Amino acid sequence: MSLQQWIPQMAVGCLLTLKLFFITIVFSMPLGLVLTFLYTSKNKAVSAIISFYILIMRGTPLLLQIFFVYFGLPYVPGIGKYLTINDRFTAGAVAFILNYAAYFAEIFRGGLLSVDVGQYEAAKVLGLTDMQTRTHIVLPQMFRISLPAISNEAIILIKDTALITAIGLSDLLKVTKTIVNKTTNISAFVVAAVFYLIMSYILTLVFKLLERKFSF
Amino acid sequence: MEMIKVENLKKNFGNVEVLKDISLTVEKGDVIAILGPSGSGKSTFLRSLIDLVDIDGGSIYIEGKALCENAVYPSAKEKRKILAKMGMVFQHFNLFPHKSVRDNLILAPKLEKRGSYEELCVMAKNMLKRVGLADKLSEMPNNLSGGQKQRVAIARALMCKPDILLFDEPTSALDPELTGEVLNVIRDLSKENMTMLIVTHEIGFAREAANKILFMDGGYVIGFGSPEEIIDNSDNERMKNFFAKVSH
Repeated sequence: MSLQQWIPQMAVGCLLTLKLFFITIVFSMPLGLVLTFLYTSKNKAVSAIISFYILIMRGTPLLLQIFFVYFGLPYVPGIGKYLTINDRFTAGAVAFILNYAAYFAEIFRGGLLSVDVGQYEAAKVLGLTDMQTRTHIVLPQMFRISLPAISNEAIILIKDTALITAIGLSDLLKVTKTIVNKTTNISAFVVAAVFYLIMSYILTLVFKLLERKFSF
Repeated sequence: MEMIKVENLKKNFGNVEVLKDISLTVEKGDVIAILGPSGSGKSTFLRSLIDLVDIDGGSIYIEGKALCENAVYPSAKEKRKILAKMGMVFQHFNLFPHKSVRDNLILAPKLEKRGSYEELCVMAKNMLKRVGLADKLSEMPNNLSGGQKQRVAIARALMCKPDILLFDEPTSALDPELTGEVLNVIRDLSKENMTMLIVTHEIGFAREAANKILFMDGGYVIGFGSPEEIIDNSDNERMKNFFAKVSH
């Protein structure tokens, strides 16, 4: 099997990798933002629940969480049959979203803490409501401050997607491994590394652009 | 006309009594400089007038309406209505760094729908002209000097058409050569009959621009009167000591 035959196969694997990446980003960031606001709310009980959620999500391996969502949820007593996700990709994506939302929540919380208290005071004396202060003053600055950390997290995610192999899906790395087994030659690994590098590099550029666009 | 009336105001931070028993009446057009040693409660007092600090006792009336009566506050909405005609300028400017000078100025009036975008832009330009910065409309705040930032902050406060303006050490964060431009703007406002309360360390400016001086120490008002009475002819030991120590 030659390089010309590998590349199309690897590209198909790459598509799955990208699909998982984008779905995770699109859903976990807004969910993370909601978690941040719940976490920083004045309600102590809500804050405690979110804190526990973040502890679980950050404190256990993502691989374990993927196994749990796909294999474990059906066995949850009582409600298991409602939680069963039969589609492997959906199960994997749910695990990724729940896990990354916890990390994004912490990133956003850090950004929130960096917004100067003077900004809230200025908004208040200008007569802005709490909601207006949040949307017009706090959120834009929080995002700007969080961008480098978000970029970091996105680059980790593009490589973490390889974990989905564990529930039998053929992403870039899985396809590559199959080719290596067939050809008894490890050069496909090098090609896969180049694929990952290109994706990470594009992400780096995109975030650099965003940082420049939102600089102040 | 009474613009602000404060009765027996008290404020504690934990076990520390910061403001012990403050009563004060501010008339329309008054320019009151608030002086006193650091830690005397000047800033806390000023901030309590615009609800940045919750008081623990006493009452505050703004243009006849109760912002706080016997330490009981009305709803957030009601407070916003009472404070609509009051603006504040901070020591550290607190401009919104992610918004241009224009957007800093028009944000609040735009959210309250006090005019079309075009009308508000014209108004913003006029306000900037008033503080001598007409050419900075499209600039980002971080490209301005400290003095320019503070003048933009004043223009932003003026956009809400306030009857009362509070200044919390407006020149304390500025290089000495930049304080003049900010003080000139405040001086111009005093000529336009704006009611102002200014916490400051600029004794010379207070003497010349203010019609009254409020001297605070240890959470009490020690003296309230004309600049001559307070700065030059006071027989109070604490005030005499203070003015002897600060050059003016």
